[in-house]
Amino acid sequence: MLTLLARLFKALNSDSAPGQVAFAFALAMIPGFTPLFSLINLLVLLLAMVLRINFSAFIFGVAIFSLIGYGLDPASAALGEKILNAPELRDVWTSLYQNEWVRISSFNNTITMGGLVISLVLLIPVTLLSRVLILQYRHRLLAWVNRLKIVQALKASKFWYLYTTFAE
Amino acid sequence: MTKWIRWSGLAGFLAVIGLIAALFILLLPFAIKSGIEFVGTKVAGAKVTVDDADVTLSPLGVRLERLQVADAREPMRNLVEFDEAVADLELAPLLVGKAISNELSVTNLQFHTQRATSGAIAKDPEEDAAGDAKPSLKEKASEALPSVDEVLAKETLKTPQAGEALKESWNIQSEQIDAALKKVPDSAALANYETEVKEITSGRLESVEDFRERKARLDALKKQFEKDRSAIRQARDAIQEGRSEVSDKLAQLRSAPGEDLAYLKDKYQLSGQGVSNLTGLLFGDDAANWAQEALYWYEKVQPYLESDEEDSTDIKDEKAPRLAGEFVHFPTDDPWPDFLIRTARLTGPFSGGQLVISGKDITHQQIVTGRPTVFTATGDSLERIGDLDARLTLNHTLGNSVDTLTLAVSDWAMAPLNLGVAGARLASSQVKLDAEAKVVRGELDAELDAKVSRAQFTGDGQTLFARELNAALKGINRFSVDAGVTGSLKSPDVTFGSDLDRQINSAITKRISAKQDEFEARLKSRLNSQVAEYAGDYADELQQLTEMEGSLDDKLNALKDLASQELEDFKAQQEREAREKLEAEKAAAEQKAKEEADARKQDLKNQAKDKLKSLF
Repeated sequence: MLTLLARLFKALNSDSAPGQVAFAFALAMIPGFTPLFSLINLLVLLLAMVLRINFSAFIFGVAIFSLIGYGLDPASAALGEKILNAPELRDVWTSLYQNEWVRISSFNNTITMGGLVISLVLLIPVTLLSRVLILQYRHRLLAWVNRLKIVQALKASKFWYLYTTFAE
Repeated sequence: MTKWIRWSGLAGFLAVIGLIAALFILLLPFAIKSGIEFVGTKVAGAKVTVDDADVTLSPLGVRLERLQVADAREPMRNLVEFDEAVADLELAPLLVGKAISNELSVTNLQFHTQRATSGAIAKDPEEDAAGDAKPSLKEKASEALPSVDEVLAKETLKTPQAGEALKESWNIQSEQIDAALKKVPDSAALANYETEVKEITSGRLESVEDFRERKARLDALKKQFEKDRSAIRQARDAIQEGRSEVSDKLAQLRSAPGEDLAYLKDKYQLSGQGVSNLTGLLFGDDAANWAQEALYWYEKVQPYLESDEEDSTDIKDEKAPRLAGEFVHFPTDDPWPDFLIRTARLTGPFSGGQLVISGKDITHQQIVTGRPTVFTATGDSLERIGDLDARLTLNHTLGNSVDTLTLAVSDWAMAPLNLGVAGARLASSQVKLDAEAKVVRGELDAELDAKVSRAQFTGDGQTLFARELNAALKGINRFSVDAGVTGSLKSPDVTFGSDLDRQINSAITKRISAKQDEFEARLKSRLNSQVAEYAGDYADELQQLTEMEGSLDDKLNALKDLASQELEDFKAQQEREAREKLEAEKAAAEQKAKEEADARKQDLKNQAKDKLKSLF
């Protein structure tokens, strides 16, 4: 966990593209808001590993959005149920249902569908917002944070050792 | 574009997926074996073992070696076992945890085989108790001709109840009467009262003080008399009430045996109709065993057959757990329930030939497949059975909860059958059997029609009844039996009908009638003896109560008389004495005057006599 945080801080504090970190974080919404073990999330994992985005930010995002997902489940299920039972979409779902590889994505699960739709709708806004926040952090907060006594104390800890190891 | 791609990430992803797949394939046989043994044991209530399980990759499938399902009722026997089962598995559904097989093939399927070790597992005591509570059909059928002791022990009759009520009432009333009688003065007390009253009211009053003292004593006694009279009245009321209640209870006790006998005659059909249950008595146990076997299997399977009502209830009652959600199913030719065997073929030795069982759409989620599960069984080259056709349809699709079984057996050379009554045995017979059973939402409705020909009965019963029955049976070589089963699966009502009854009836009716007359007489005698035992000396006790009531009346009258005694006033006594003295003096004076007058008269008479004598 410390290693993961160290990697994340390295990404935040370094010059790595803020868009890569922000998109990785936003992409984590999909596994966070939907049942973890599914074909969709396997594809998302593939994307996170293959695309040149920050994997630590992705893992951190999965942890954060999974916690949010607990509270979001009822809303996701309700939304998913509404979408899957919508008469105008019924033909689409029925035709997708005929393909067994689409079916194993569990798209017909209410929480999967609801969580996926919420994640996709929020993907761009969360990416943009995260990017802005990362830039603001680097420009305005980083120097101030470094001056904080707690941060200075932290620099003397194991965490800082790990951080510097990964920063090299 | 390539600047966005991290090829090392792709390699890592493939490595992770490959590792997971390898682990999955490696562990799957163990998971299948353990899963079948664990779930099977839970469902069967006895050990389920699989010797070996293999997974094949091309085509993807699973092979089980020697599966044994122990019989929970007879742990040293297997309910069913087979040598080998081979099933293919569809990959895509398996990735989402659904086991779907297009074809299952089972070889050397056998029922009721011996086990080398016990297949018993620790049982739930509640299940045991529930199992023991069911009486066998023979026990039920035997109620037609029970023994007097059995009837009296089993039935809740009015006679003993009325006897107990009388006993209880007598105990309560006698306690109340005893308590009331304790307050009543006894004969000695009454004699004392009389003496005391006499002493107070007799003798001369010497003075005013003497009068006052006597008056005070008499008043105190009168108060006591009033108390005693009240106590006597209360005792008399208690006796009257007790006598009335005990009389009522005694009357109820005396009428109870008549009512009990009428009830028993009606219930146990102590008439010529009693023998109509003989078919049930003769074939009931065997039919019950077959039915129990069928119901045993059905009850094992039934909980896993979901109906739409159960589904909707579950959805409403159970909150979906975190990250589970609900699956919305769409119309498809290829539905994926959690478990599905599209076709199955099971074969095994049976009655000298082969039994072939085919299954179609075997699943516990017919609401997903939209098709019922159908099993058919046919016999091939069977030695003792001409044709065997059975079809079981379990229909729990949307809006349905109907399970149907049809069975047709012809030219069945039935094995010798011990009928269990009077030593009778159906040594050989040729049977044609047609049966149909339907379970609609837990309610069973089944009919069985068996036509028996070339029947040969034997029997070695020594009682008169057994001899009569066996003699009647020996003359019968063709008969039919029809059975009906209705009601809930837990406690179905079984009825039997047969022309066998008519045939036996005419032969043994006289004997049965005599037996029933004897039964009725014995029952009556036992009930009457119960009355005598309970009633006991209560009639004498009632007579004593009546006498006691009369004695209390006498006491009450005596006290009344005593209470009416009055003490004369002292002044009145003085006046009375003066008056008496005056009257005595007057009487004495009058007496004296009269005596003087009489004396003068006598003198004058004498003088006159003397003068007359002197004249002559």
